[in-house]
Amino acid sequence: MTLHDELVTAVGVDHVESVPGEPDSHHRTWHVKPGSAAEVAEVIRRAGQHKAAVHPLGVQGRLPRPDPTRPRVLVSTRRLDQVLQLDEMSLMVHAQAGITGLELERILGPRGLSLGDYPPVVLTPSLGGIIAVRTPGKSSARHGFFEDAVVGVSAVLADGRTVHTRVAPRRSTGPDLSRALCGSEGTIGFITSAVLRIHQKPEARLLAAYVLPSLNAAVSAVYLALREEAAPSGLRIYDTAEAAQHFDGLALPADHALLCAATAGPTDLAACDRDLITSAVIAEGGSTADEHLADLWWRRLRGGEPTPGPAPSLQVMATPGKLRAVYRAVIAQARVAGATARAHVSRFDADGAVMFFTIQRGGHPHDEAIADCEHAAEVAGGWLLGARAQKLDRYLDALRDALDPDRIMNPGTLS
Amino acid sequence: MSEVAKQPMQVDVDRLQRELEAIVGPRRVSVRAVDLDTYSRDMWPRLLIAYREGHKSPHRPHAIVWPEHVREVVAIVKLAREHRIPIVPYGGGSGVCGGAVPLFGGITIDTKRMQQLRSVSADELICDVEAGLSGERFERDLARRGYTFGHFPSSIYCSTVGGWLATRAAGQLSTKYGKVEDRVTGLTVVTGRGEIIETDGPNRALRGPSWTQLIVGSEGTLGLITSARLRVSPAPQLRVFRGFEIDDVAAGAEAIRRVLQRGLRPAVVRLYDELDTLMNSFGSHDEPTEGPEGHDLHGPVPPVESGALPAWPAAQPQRADGVVDRLIALAKGKGLRHNVMHAARGHSQLVNKLFGAVAEKVARRGCRMIVGLEGSRIRTEVEAALTFSELEAAGARDKGEDPGWAWLRHRYAVSYRMSPMFRDGAFVDTMEVASSWERLMDLYHAVRAAIGQHAVVMAHFSHAYADGCSIYFTFAGTAPDAASAERLYDAIWRDGLEATTRVGATISHHHGVGLLKAPYMLGEHREAMALFEAAKASLDPDGIFNPGKMGLRPPRTTR
Repeated sequence: MTLHDELVTAVGVDHVESVPGEPDSHHRTWHVKPGSAAEVAEVIRRAGQHKAAVHPLGVQGRLPRPDPTRPRVLVSTRRLDQVLQLDEMSLMVHAQAGITGLELERILGPRGLSLGDYPPVVLTPSLGGIIAVRTPGKSSARHGFFEDAVVGVSAVLADGRTVHTRVAPRRSTGPDLSRALCGSEGTIGFITSAVLRIHQKPEARLLAAYVLPSLNAAVSAVYLALREEAAPSGLRIYDTAEAAQHFDGLALPADHALLCAATAGPTDLAACDRDLITSAVIAEGGSTADEHLADLWWRRLRGGEPTPGPAPSLQVMATPGKLRAVYRAVIAQARVAGATARAHVSRFDADGAVMFFTIQRGGHPHDEAIADCEHAAEVAGGWLLGARAQKLDRYLDALRDALDPDRIMNPGTLS
Repeated sequence: MSEVAKQPMQVDVDRLQRELEAIVGPRRVSVRAVDLDTYSRDMWPRLLIAYREGHKSPHRPHAIVWPEHVREVVAIVKLAREHRIPIVPYGGGSGVCGGAVPLFGGITIDTKRMQQLRSVSADELICDVEAGLSGERFERDLARRGYTFGHFPSSIYCSTVGGWLATRAAGQLSTKYGKVEDRVTGLTVVTGRGEIIETDGPNRALRGPSWTQLIVGSEGTLGLITSARLRVSPAPQLRVFRGFEIDDVAAGAEAIRRVLQRGLRPAVVRLYDELDTLMNSFGSHDEPTEGPEGHDLHGPVPPVESGALPAWPAAQPQRADGVVDRLIALAKGKGLRHNVMHAARGHSQLVNKLFGAVAEKVARRGCRMIVGLEGSRIRTEVEAALTFSELEAAGARDKGEDPGWAWLRHRYAVSYRMSPMFRDGAFVDTMEVASSWERLMDLYHAVRAAIGQHAVVMAHFSHAYADGCSIYFTFAGTAPDAASAERLYDAIWRDGLEATTRVGATISHHHGVGLLKAPYMLGEHREAMALFEAAKASLDPDGIFNPGKMGLRPPRTTR
């Protein structure tokens, strides 16, 4: 059978589409839309027989550069969009990989449930994509890392076997095998569904804004509060220029910073966390600011209103001890490059936080200045978007060889 | 025991000794018989049954080596790889599943000379610690600097940081601090290829699989962890502990679930079933371990409020009030607990039934709960008030602070009460399983029934999370000789773990797998074992690390 016939056999003629291949390729590309995990397994097994490359395709999927020496099968998860089980007693949901985080939130919301305090931008991709691709900032101070909410994964391996990692609150039965799949970008297995921890919607949510004498002081206040065990549902620090840009010309004193905070949970605990943040701000020489700033920030964060200005040109993750140094380094390097840089700091978690810089020269993004700032951020100890532990590539290659000797699973990725 | 072949390899021991001495010097290598015997086992109760009868383990290492530096570990691994000799990592030897048994002989690497707490970063709240540091010293060193790791297993006096990481261990305060895998940010590992790898970095931000989480819990089958970067917390400013009673196990579990799903995080929540509540009322085993003040004779007990560990685990306190307590106290004067255990060992089903009747009386008073919170002063106060009011709303009755403080003060005593049981000719062990809340009571009843047909069994619920909980079953049995005791022991585990798998729960929450649970790994992970085997092929392609364990297929060197 031809590969096309194999794919039609697996998912039906209505769900196989031939798309133009690369100009220099003798092989074709197929876009396949399986409707179940079993169909995904069939597609991968049959693609493997033809040594075709299998690329997962979620909502926001980007394809690696094609290999002209082999056919490609783009496997869409869009028909895998069902909630398979909702365990409201254990607060867990089992959902297929093609449903987006936002769609899942819309299903959970009316039941008083939520995936957690993650920004909508984190929940925009399909569930499979959220889990399979690691980027900084998929986290919240209150609910932790999104990946840690994954209690079980189902995936198809290169030989067509389906694996289900066992669901348990915690276990001590070897390595966490779901972590081989999380972050593997489809190279270890094709994720078909996942079981996630979910949360009850908070009884109360409180918002507050503060002005501090510097970005350093704002960072210090945040960590002072976190060490007092405050668990806010959201935090964001704006430097002076960024605050002016985001809040309609808000004029903070020179070098000051704006801190917006949201706390949530049982009312007493939400108030306690807000008070801990307030105390920390005062200890760092700051004071409370107009609450409507925090309201506006929260509405934008939750997707209610657009954030003004261009998208940030540089995202840098830094650990708590490196945040200030990275910020200083980027601002200084931008000056050297004849550019301006402004930033907000967000997505605080146990690993650190993410800094979003907007770097411009003459009012426009400037690639050379951005590249210089990237380098400065790395030298100062920051981690750029898409960073990878390349020194372990040899071990990743060996792991892939063991499971996928023909390298059909998303070749060209993570290598 | 595991189905794998158990024949030791043929090794030229003189040559091996010379080559190891060339790496670490003559003082840190041993092939003495007494050392080989010592390192032939860990604290797996099944091995203790034979040991009590004077039988030596057939699984002795060919040599033991004590490296002090990761470079020495690399050289040892390269040597082992060259000769295709197995390596078994060894920490405190406190494992209870046979994970450190050198099934095929080879080199046992004792990590205890790698024991430095290298640094604690106040900015990052991360410490860098070597794998061989004992839990007790680690926690004391951190306490002196104003921090805690928050990991307090019963074995803290005899286990190491590396052992915790190798088994995904849990401490008694795991509900707040998490298990050890929740607290690790990076590892230094010598792989089976004889290479040093470091897995540090913001793990959830780096692309690719998490190597840290693939190595944590691998029980020395993928490589040897030589040091780790672990998250620490500021030392608690406040501790609040209380005892509660609640009508029955199901009501207690429901109360705990409500607390945790409201977003509250007590440090510890323990719910004892009727029989465990009854046994706790009996007090400690009738052994002359208590001094005039009711404290362990082994050493002084500093006030727990100081935040320090007790110098040595103290015995369980004894209380007596009320009708049932008077009966208990009366019987206890005649050594009832001792006699009950004797009876239980011989006639477990009958005793389980009899115990049921007594336990029912106790149940009218309710099941015992211990709830504790610790942390920063202000938040702990608020969270404690919310936690206690939620428990009372769920039907729990507040019994005041005393039961909570008593538990905290004597929380390490239980592990030291097993020796008298073994001396008396019985065996005792614990089975720690876990499931989601939805399946938790099914798990409790299924495992209790499975074990109860063979031995007296009781349970407590601890290590609770928003999505589920662990159940810790304690069982005791006896048989006329070692061989039949081992058969009985195996039957208990077989039936208990099969019942666990049947209800969809996990077969181990924090003790690990080792040899004991290796035959059940396929039932636990099914096809997903392929991922573990792929990690093995990647990190230890020659299969020299801890062969025969964890249900991994026997390596090439031993086939």
